[in-house]
Amino acid sequence: MTDDLVRKWELSRRRVLAAAGGLGLAGLSGNAFGQPGGPWSGPPKSKVDRVNFVVWTYGDIYSRIAKQFEADWGVKVDSTISAFNDHPTKLATMFAAGEKIDVSQSSPFSFPNFVAQGLAEPIDGLPGAADYIKDFTPFTKQVATIGGKTMGLPYFSSVWVWNYYADMLEKLKIDKPFATYDEFIEHCVKAKKDGVSRYPVLWVAGVGLEQLPGTWYQMTWNRGGTFFDKQGNHMLGAGSVARETLKWWANTFEKGLDIADPESLKVQFTTSAKAFGAGKNLYRGPNHHYGLNVVNDPAQSPIAGKVKVHGSPGDGKTMGVTHVYFLSSANRDKEWAWKLLQYLGGKTKDGNYTQAISLAKDAMLGSGYNSVMNSDAVKQGWAPWGDVPAILGIWDKAAYIGEVCSSVYQPWHFPWTDQLNIEVQKCLTGQLTADQCCDNLIKGIADAKRKV
Amino acid sequence: MEASRAARRPWYRREMSARRFALFLNLPTLLFLGVVLAYPVVYAGYLSVHRVGLAQLRRGEFPFNGWDNYARVLEDPLFWVAIKNTLIFTAITVGAEVVLAIAIALLINQTGVWTSRVTRFLILLPYAIPPICNGLIWSFLYSFQFGFLNRILFSVGLIDQPINWAGNPDTALYAVTVPYIWRTLPFAIILVHAALQGIPRDLYEQAAIDGANAWHRFRHITWPMLQQIIAIILILRTAFAFAVFEEILAITQGGPGDATWVAAWYSYKITFSPPNNFGMGSASAFILTLMIAAIALVYMRTVYRRVTL
Repeated sequence: MTDDLVRKWELSRRRVLAAAGGLGLAGLSGNAFGQPGGPWSGPPKSKVDRVNFVVWTYGDIYSRIAKQFEADWGVKVDSTISAFNDHPTKLATMFAAGEKIDVSQSSPFSFPNFVAQGLAEPIDGLPGAADYIKDFTPFTKQVATIGGKTMGLPYFSSVWVWNYYADMLEKLKIDKPFATYDEFIEHCVKAKKDGVSRYPVLWVAGVGLEQLPGTWYQMTWNRGGTFFDKQGNHMLGAGSVARETLKWWANTFEKGLDIADPESLKVQFTTSAKAFGAGKNLYRGPNHHYGLNVVNDPAQSPIAGKVKVHGSPGDGKTMGVTHVYFLSSANRDKEWAWKLLQYLGGKTKDGNYTQAISLAKDAMLGSGYNSVMNSDAVKQGWAPWGDVPAILGIWDKAAYIGEVCSSVYQPWHFPWTDQLNIEVQKCLTGQLTADQCCDNLIKGIADAKRKV
Repeated sequence: MEASRAARRPWYRREMSARRFALFLNLPTLLFLGVVLAYPVVYAGYLSVHRVGLAQLRRGEFPFNGWDNYARVLEDPLFWVAIKNTLIFTAITVGAEVVLAIAIALLINQTGVWTSRVTRFLILLPYAIPPICNGLIWSFLYSFQFGFLNRILFSVGLIDQPINWAGNPDTALYAVTVPYIWRTLPFAIILVHAALQGIPRDLYEQAAIDGANAWHRFRHITWPMLQQIIAIILILRTAFAFAVFEEILAITQGGPGDATWVAAWYSYKITFSPPNNFGMGSASAFILTLMIAAIALVYMRTVYRRVTL
């Protein structure tokens, strides 16, 4: 018995020594035991009394992450939060007025412009940045890398999907949603004719960067077209896929088949999901997958649980985006700004992707990090609102929006989009033909280039 | 003797002339107006002849580019669409305001028509509503499928299909004029009502004795006495209507298409949307200012001068 004890003690002692040695090595390497040992866990050498970020609103995510930062580092976080559409204006005026901005964010559409105007600083070489870059998804790499430099960390990613109201489809005695665009029209015409829905389709076509333009981009891409080729030449000429798609799309409005809800031209991505929740339309889309988070939320939608996700016709090709957080060049202290940027777009002191995981669980947003996209945060977090395998299946068929419309990498994309919103809305309301609209947009490319 | 003694005094002990005294009294106001009004206008003029983006503003270095910004604004077709829409908007709103203000002010000025304080308060209430809130209220009212306006019209049988007030390019601009008139009308009513209160009652009594009917009394007494205030309303309301912005922002954001792009919206978009061309935005705002000044001058030289001489 004593021998047994000794043997155990000796074994145990060896184990303790081995474990201690292992711990020592782990400490040296900095990551074997985890995340607390990484560069995100140490305080910057400099001292500041506050830091700030300028962002667009999304629930209470920013008040929560600001509180966590304050608790972890004892530094106050000031936040300036605007509506999504007002954010570029707010950021621009603060920057122009010489105010301090440590961290801000951008959609992929305005980001090249912000970078060109000197609002953002590269993050390459900052402590831990290389680890983040290794974990970037392909979408993130495309949006965050400008001129060979990494200019930001991901906020969230999403892909364009369709939604349908299952009860209405059942009422129409249609066993499954459309598989072709012709079928889509058939279903909508039938819904209107049978008096089941006056306006069977709600397009997400309000003025913006990714509503109206995004809908056109996605349907063009799904049909095998793009807006610019690899050399940057436009693909909007006579007979182009983009032009034909626009003709088809415009025909769904009042002066054509009259199956499109007139509210389509006013709604943004969230408001369209809320409007769809009224249960008056059969189809909605194509737009961000996370609209399901609104339309299948019982607190926001009378038809919660009855809205299903659906892929695009044909081979199911779709597109996606990643929005970014960036280190502002108007920061008060680069080390602290980097620390704050990581809280928004990277890891918190405990080494977790706290914000990205919360966004997946609370808001159904996808992540710009492979490790988060492959985690249970997505698989379990999204489940209350939609068919996760179906959405991830659509995700696999998504290309980054830059492949569809490569002008998003150019500073002139933003002013061109302003014109695109006007011309396409005029086309959809019957003031212009699709041919006139595309011809105007072709002319507008040169004008937009002159504006920057 | 007294005068020569005064002349011998040092300047700071001499009696101040009336002109100098007036200047002295007006100095604080002039300084205030200079800082609050003149400086931004002059600065906008300065920016309008320079190349100004975010980076230049941050650095404080603006390369001079002459009349380039003005040329680019004037050759932009969208600017002329915005000007056309602004002129239509201004003509409708100013015309409607003048007519409605006179009608309502005459009504509440009638001794035979009793209007409670609550009624008078309600008439003035829209003027107290912030413009952006007014725009949001009306955007809800105009909502196509869920708006209150369509619901009322539907329930009283005036329509059998909802009308897309703010989303149809044929109606959107007119739809935006209504909230604007609703908000700004009380200002005109106050001015007209105050002017009506200033007309001596005995003029009406004498006219009544002479057998003048209501129309003749209005035509020959009220209207001539109101012309001065109406000229002022025309000048002020035209200037403000030319710069309409909040209702556009809240209700249509310039859409559908360019149906409700107005001059101030154009300046805003050029300036505050990437690529943030502050120089071109200032140029467009300056052109708008010059247009308002020209119209005010026309009013002054025609309507106002005619009624004050």
